Amino acid sequence: MTIARRELASFFAIPLGWVAIALYLFLTGGVFTLMILNPNTAATMRPFFAVSAWLMLPVIPAISMRLFSEEYRSGTIEPLLTSPVSDAAIAVGKYLGALGFMVLMLVPTLGHVGVLVWVSEPAPDAGPIVAGYASLVLLGMLYLSIGLFISSLTSNQTLAFLGTLFAILLLLLATTLGADRLPEAMRPLLYAAALTPRIADFAKGVIDTSHVVFFVTCSAWFVLLTIVVLQSRRWS
Amino acid sequence: MLSVQGVHKSFGSIRAVRGVSFEVRPGQVVGLLGPNGAGKTTTIRMITGFLPPDDGRVMIGELDVSRDSGEARARIGYLPESAPHYPEMKVREFIAHRAALFGVERRERKKAVEAAMDRCQVGTVASRRVGVLSKGFKQRVGLAAAIVHGPSVLVLDEPTNGLDPTQVREARSLIRDLAKDRTLLFSSHVLSEVERVCDRVVMIAGGEMRADGTPSELVERTSLTPLHVVECARSPDPMPILRKVDGVSEARLEPVSDEGWVRVRITPRAGQRDLRESISVAARGAGLAVRELTIERPSLERLFAELIERPGTLGGGA
Repeated sequence: MTIARRELASFFAIPLGWVAIALYLFLTGGVFTLMILNPNTAATMRPFFAVSAWLMLPVIPAISMRLFSEEYRSGTIEPLLTSPVSDAAIAVGKYLGALGFMVLMLVPTLGHVGVLVWVSEPAPDAGPIVAGYASLVLLGMLYLSIGLFISSLTSNQTLAFLGTLFAILLLLLATTLGADRLPEAMRPLLYAAALTPRIADFAKGVIDTSHVVFFVTCSAWFVLLTIVVLQSRRWS
Repeated sequence: MLSVQGVHKSFGSIRAVRGVSFEVRPGQVVGLLGPNGAGKTTTIRMITGFLPPDDGRVMIGELDVSRDSGEARARIGYLPESAPHYPEMKVREFIAHRAALFGVERRERKKAVEAAMDRCQVGTVASRRVGVLSKGFKQRVGLAAAIVHGPSVLVLDEPTNGLDPTQVREARSLIRDLAKDRTLLFSSHVLSEVERVCDRVVMIAGGEMRADGTPSELVERTSLTPLHVVECARSPDPMPILRKVDGVSEARLEPVSDEGWVRVRITPRAGQRDLRESISVAARGAGLAVRELTIERPSLERLFAELIERPGTLGGGA
């Protein structure tokens, strides 16, 4: 938890953290005002969750790019890896710190929900809203774990950002547009790894346990890969 | 006690460290001396568990740094070169973070942090961000962070690199103070620093150990011949007189500021260590006035330069 706390605090001590929050809130605020606060339309947060999921594409790599890359660049990785903390604790700590920041970034958007409930008659269904937030957190968890892994591979933050963005786009494209064009043998795997149908289920207000398990397991795999990278750096 | 036992490390085809072995006893300050690229940092990284040795082992007391890595690392305080830090953190916060990483109990942490800051004299900047401090202060903060958990072994990699002369003096005095109650190993390529701070010197070059001993022991054991310095009258010409002395290999004339006087540096032949009597007798016989005749022992600096170029300079002593 020491590492998670430091990581979380560091986002608020540098401009990047505040800029990420401000941009995210500005853009989602725009979506809320223009697409949700429309008189004579159903009270729903669906457009907000749809746009938020896309906004995570640039926002999450911006959060994750510095997790290890900055430690490598500044040399702080050396005192960190020579402390009596395990590689697993370092990777998990950094991951939790970044995840905490992402969750805190979502918290102010609860204000949108409050406004919608206040101005709507009848009030919007709670189910799709809870499921929508769950989908954002789970999607963020997966993207962050990919970003953590890629950040552990390079000391260059720009490369970590672009690498994470590219990896996520590749995952999204390969499991949607690409799946139909690839050999048949690969299709079941790609369909199983597809994110968009799972997010669509959440948008309907359904929290399917299998989707939750999918996101958590995939995230855990990338965190595990990060631990392997750290160990290979130490013992190379 | 720190014990480095025949460690080797290669990076691809480059053999960075080859069979380095030495010990540092409790309370001792040992300097790891070598030119840039000698293998000092790689050796230090193996000692601190950052890199594993390909062969050999490092022991901290009874703990093997590779096998009992976590426990061994908990006993080491380490300040890497250039004192890496988190610039956005405040000094007190940074040191407390290091204390937490090293498992200092929460109830004891505040006391440990204050004690480390007090020892390294960084209390005046405790509430400032590390990133805005001067290089000297950053180095002190790094030292405070390295000792906050009360390590029995302190390892400092080039701790005075890049500091101005005043900061270097302060850092040296701090290092000596920190060494009072622990084993201390520090690397440097600055010879005068090692001579001033260390009880013992381990010289390393080309990834190999070239010498190990106290500065005076190393000078004593050297096979380098001591130079003889003769200050004598300019007339009669001292050079033919001194060159004729039995055992003299080379004589070199140097001017001095006094009118009518010169200084001659004499290098004896191999195996000849003290020619003072022969020089004195020869000068008296030739009517040459001598006002000073001294032996200039080989300095650690000369020995170091020779060891880098000619590994066998220390005879069988190393």
